[in-house]
Amino acid sequence: MLSGIKKYKYPYLFILPFFLLFLVFQLIPLVWTILMSFTRWNGIGLPVPIGTGNYQLILRDSMFWESFNNTVIYWITAVILILCSAMILALLITSSGNGIKSVFSTVAFLPNVCAAIAMGLIFRLLFDHNVGLINEIIVFFGGTPQPWLTSTRLSKIPVIVLNVWRNSPWYMMIVYSGLLTINPDYYDAAKVDGAGPLRRFLSITLPGLSNIMFFCFITLTVDSWKLFNEPYILPGPGTSNTSLFQYMYETGFTIFKLGYASAIGCILMTILLVISVIQFAARKRQGEL
Amino acid sequence: MNNRKKAGRAVLYFSMFCIAVISVFPIVWMCIISVKDPTESISGFNSLAVLKPTVDNYIRLCNQIPIGKNFFNSVFSTFFGTVTTVYFCALAGFAFAKYRFPGRDFLFYFVIATMLIPPEVGAIPQFIIMRKIHLINSLWSLVIPRIATAVGIFYMRQYILEVPDELLEASRIDGCRDFSIFNRIILPVIKPALASWASLSVVARWNDFFWPMLFLRKADKYTLMVSISLLPVSDGLSTPWPVILAGTTIVIIPIVLIYIIFQRLQKQGIMVGAVKG
Repeated sequence: MLSGIKKYKYPYLFILPFFLLFLVFQLIPLVWTILMSFTRWNGIGLPVPIGTGNYQLILRDSMFWESFNNTVIYWITAVILILCSAMILALLITSSGNGIKSVFSTVAFLPNVCAAIAMGLIFRLLFDHNVGLINEIIVFFGGTPQPWLTSTRLSKIPVIVLNVWRNSPWYMMIVYSGLLTINPDYYDAAKVDGAGPLRRFLSITLPGLSNIMFFCFITLTVDSWKLFNEPYILPGPGTSNTSLFQYMYETGFTIFKLGYASAIGCILMTILLVISVIQFAARKRQGEL
Repeated sequence: MNNRKKAGRAVLYFSMFCIAVISVFPIVWMCIISVKDPTESISGFNSLAVLKPTVDNYIRLCNQIPIGKNFFNSVFSTFFGTVTTVYFCALAGFAFAKYRFPGRDFLFYFVIATMLIPPEVGAIPQFIIMRKIHLINSLWSLVIPRIATAVGIFYMRQYILEVPDELLEASRIDGCRDFSIFNRIILPVIKPALASWASLSVVARWNDFFWPMLFLRKADKYTLMVSISLLPVSDGLSTPWPVILAGTTIVIIPIVLIYIIFQRLQKQGIMVGAVKG
């Protein structure tokens, strides 16, 4: 047994940093969050156990439900808009000539290297009601200026635009790498059989990308539910743009209801787990995994 | 048919042009406004022209926030964060790709599964832990938790799997031990993967906002991102927009330049590998 450990000393040593850090900075905090969610604590003194009290309060908390709805909107719009634009961008790259290809992919990827916080400030000026360029363009084409960030009706649009603008290029690269793995012979065969571009896209490209799309869906889901920077830097009136994770941060670190914030964290965790489990189960049923 | 093909090309290049404009415009627009004189109008279409370029906005920015210190903090945490994560992710990826040990597959799937729960969910206990180990207001609080990340390990493993086993066998016969095999044989061979993982990490670390905001609580310990986010912003013209956009320019332009340099290096790196291989 001792010789066994000695024999495998190096590989275990090499993967040790990850597991050590995972334990200290992820697993312990997660378990701690779960335990803390059953207490009332403001950071001073000892936590007071209150059972499921926090969860009962959350169910009746209108702020929680508003930020929950906002996050669902961010999630759905992100999945639909980002996946569609990433697909279009990736198809544009594949159908362009070699010289333009590398220039275009470099330029199109630029939004992804720009910080959400910095771009958010720029978008605030861009979407400003009185002096913003967007409204000026709308007026130029004969429309009426819109109160983008000051009305509850429209205030999520700048957040969604920023999110799509910044994240589409990332998924563009992933979809593009998936497109490269599809055997070009399939397309040639389909052309010989007389299939049009749309038909080829639906019958060859989409099925060929199903694994990549699944991966994109999962990462987009996790990223959308922990969305923080965009709504933080582009706040609408009141809480109309607050995301769930932002609400957790604010209850935890500005009003120090640590138990309550932990309960929000636990709900967030549960939602993510449930979505993942459903997805993996669906994939398994299709026999894709 | 030929005309149709030409029309198709035209539509293709026109849409590529539009996308390029959408991608680049906000960045260029920001740079333009950041060098505008405070007396010039920045409303609507007026924002597109500069009559007298000036660096006044940058000077005013320097008077408002300790920009030099903040810049150094950003560079420091980005540099050490990237170097450590590239090395340790490659090390773990190497173990998963090239060693056979009990529990390997289980542990690897476990690493992958950890990606489903974002560490942000446990932000409150993480803050308490950081305070216990006296890393609040220390830049190492941004480096240490992400020395080895699941995504990085996954990425490196995929790449190292492609390295031929014969190379490792040969070096083992030559008397290389495990660590020196990794440092002397693996690292040079996987340079392109290291470069692309490094470029992703540099961007992520530089743009990181949530963790610095959480762990750094003093103005001269802030990273650039935190400092910029705290500049006073309200609606309309009461906000000193040119100054704020000078701040965002300082945040965005360095990373755009680094990204373009990395792109060039990577292309050359792949070329070199192809010639040698």
